[in-house]
Amino acid sequence: MSATPFDEMHNADGSVREPYLILEEWLKEQPPQALSLMSNDAESLFRRLGITFAVYGSNEGSEKLIPFDIIPRIVSAIEWRKLSKGIEQRVRALNAFLHDIYHRQEILKAGRVPEKLILNNSAFCPEMMGLDPARGVYSHIIGVDMVRVGPDDWYVLEDNLRTPSGVSYMLENREAMLQLAPELFQRYKVASVETYPETLRRTMESVAPAGVNGAPNLVVLTPGIHNSAYFEHSFLADQMGAELCEGQDLFVENGKVYMRTTTGPERVDVIYRRIDDDFLDPLTFRPDSMLGVPGLFDAYRAGTVTLVNAPGTGIADDKAVYTYVPEIIEFYLGEKALLKNVPTYNCTDLDQRAYVLEHLQELVVKEVHGSGGYGMMVGPASTKAMREEFRRKILARPDNYIVQPTLALSTCPTFVDRGIAPRHVDLRPYVLVGDDIRITPGGLTRVALKKGSLVVNSSQGGGTKDTWVLEE
Amino acid sequence: MLITIRHKLSLTLGPGIVRSVQHVLLTPQAGPAQTVREWAIDMPGFADAASFLDGFGNRAQLVSQHRPEAELVVSVSGVVETIDRNGVIGRVAGEPPPTLYRRPSPLAKAAGAITSKFRSGPKGGQGRIALLHDLMARVEEVVGGTPQQTQSQSQGGQSQSQSQGEAVTAAAAADFAHAFIGAARGLEIPARYVTGYVAEHGEDAYWHAWAEAWDEGLGWIGFDPTLGYCPTDKHVRVAVGLDAGSVPPVRSVPVIAAPVVELTVAGQ
Repeated sequence: MSATPFDEMHNADGSVREPYLILEEWLKEQPPQALSLMSNDAESLFRRLGITFAVYGSNEGSEKLIPFDIIPRIVSAIEWRKLSKGIEQRVRALNAFLHDIYHRQEILKAGRVPEKLILNNSAFCPEMMGLDPARGVYSHIIGVDMVRVGPDDWYVLEDNLRTPSGVSYMLENREAMLQLAPELFQRYKVASVETYPETLRRTMESVAPAGVNGAPNLVVLTPGIHNSAYFEHSFLADQMGAELCEGQDLFVENGKVYMRTTTGPERVDVIYRRIDDDFLDPLTFRPDSMLGVPGLFDAYRAGTVTLVNAPGTGIADDKAVYTYVPEIIEFYLGEKALLKNVPTYNCTDLDQRAYVLEHLQELVVKEVHGSGGYGMMVGPASTKAMREEFRRKILARPDNYIVQPTLALSTCPTFVDRGIAPRHVDLRPYVLVGDDIRITPGGLTRVALKKGSLVVNSSQGGGTKDTWVLEE
Repeated sequence: MLITIRHKLSLTLGPGIVRSVQHVLLTPQAGPAQTVREWAIDMPGFADAASFLDGFGNRAQLVSQHRPEAELVVSVSGVVETIDRNGVIGRVAGEPPPTLYRRPSPLAKAAGAITSKFRSGPKGGQGRIALLHDLMARVEEVVGGTPQQTQSQSQGGQSQSQSQGEAVTAAAAADFAHAFIGAARGLEIPARYVTGYVAEHGEDAYWHAWAEAWDEGLGWIGFDPTLGYCPTDKHVRVAVGLDAGSVPPVRSVPVIAAPVVELTVAGQ
């Protein structure tokens, strides 16, 4: 971790890094105002497509447009190959971990991961014990959050094995770039991301329950129109050619799952569910859930339907379990982890907690079960009052927080009010696991649009960029 | 011993229900202490139910009804042959690892009063079994009163009654089992909740609950804190779980009639 952030476009001596050479040329060719016009075009394009998101906790309760930055992020083929090998390794190990945790629990017996951390964890789902999902896959759709601090130096922040969102932005960003700067795609050979919905469909079909005749019937199960990612649910269903359903559109009869249609009930084989575990089925999980389908989990256990992702995958991306991922990779694959974990302080340890409380200004504090940039504090950007608040919170519930050093996130050239300037970015590549592991080249790059800011979450003033992986 | 079981449960679903689904845990499995000679469950939809093993290794059924009656009646009948193994069930292939049953669960909380008395005692070998017996004998102190006097712990608010007297007894047994399990887990000993039937005085078997605790040497051993002894050939095991909430005999979700709007969408 170096103090000066890695600039993805420029070398330390100011020269342009190889993947960005053509872009540099293109930027120079642009007449004044061209980028500004393009940026306006992009905004109206997204407004027309209707990609908005709801901001939780804001009084406006309004739908907002995530700002799109017109300058693509470019990753070379070699860089990507190394990165995707690391991601594949991680995903393979975490699925093996889930299988073990829900069967013989060898890793706990071996003492490599503390038993209590798993068995007493609210993300652990005892109802999943002994269940054998199709092809042994628990997490089929994964979005790994990563940051880069050097040319080949990537850290994983979170594994997101439950129901990661954002893939629709990745697809729409590419669509927008193709419209806004078609000539750039003539000069660069950019690996395609457009096949994602088709690959998602193939992945879901490959994990259909045994005994399905013909093409399996796939649906996307959404909590409904009030969910912040509803646009994405409907977008993916549409792109895949699957039905978009809410809980009340499905029912269980004679141990099987059916969808109500105007022409009568239709059997459902594979469900891409975007409803959280707790709300999935009131018969097994929260009885007050109005969003789920009563009996769905039992039908899954009885093997008549496949859930994508499986319930209980959250135990593998729990922030407290995260620190053990390098250990998990070694245990199941016998390999050293290719991607780095961010060093993490455990606040229940007295020495580590003392260090944390002394150095809050340099550290990032995250709630163990928080997400979306809520309930977190970035030390260098914090006020004294915020640090006091978090000091109290950590002392009150040390097990509820993890603390990490502030990483010098890499920067990418970004179009801002005063021209082009470096801004910090992260990356969420999307992985599909079924009959094979397929990683879409690129992913969603989020960018902190405020100068110096390290918080890329869209709820906190972040935007997105198209991510280009170059073909060899 | 041959135990004959006749068990009737009724659930009030209420009027106007379009669909109802149940998770049924009323099927005993063959094991070291019992052989199931005959078993039948009679309820609407049972013939078309999906049958599967749940996360704890129990035989479960997913049953559903379309436009059910306001009251759902479940009748269980069967004959089970049992032998007395002093409560020792041992290790059963395919069951989840015993450590799973150290997980704290909402209904079986450790009572400090009882665990603190035992914390310093030996927890391994012969010491553990003696300790578990002591624990069983002292559970009454935690629950407070004799089995007949305790208040029932409600199971999810469903009306799920046998006769009034039997329901009280079953609820009291749940309290005793939970107190035992909470205390054992407080001492880091895996312990689980067991549902089943007991033919206490050789008469008709009634619905009951007790506990099992883990010993590295003997495997699972039953303790019936309500009756104050380890299960004998009077006990028929039906299901195991973390606590009463994880293994009710019948869990049901009615689907209240949603306003059905028949839509014809043009062009779709």
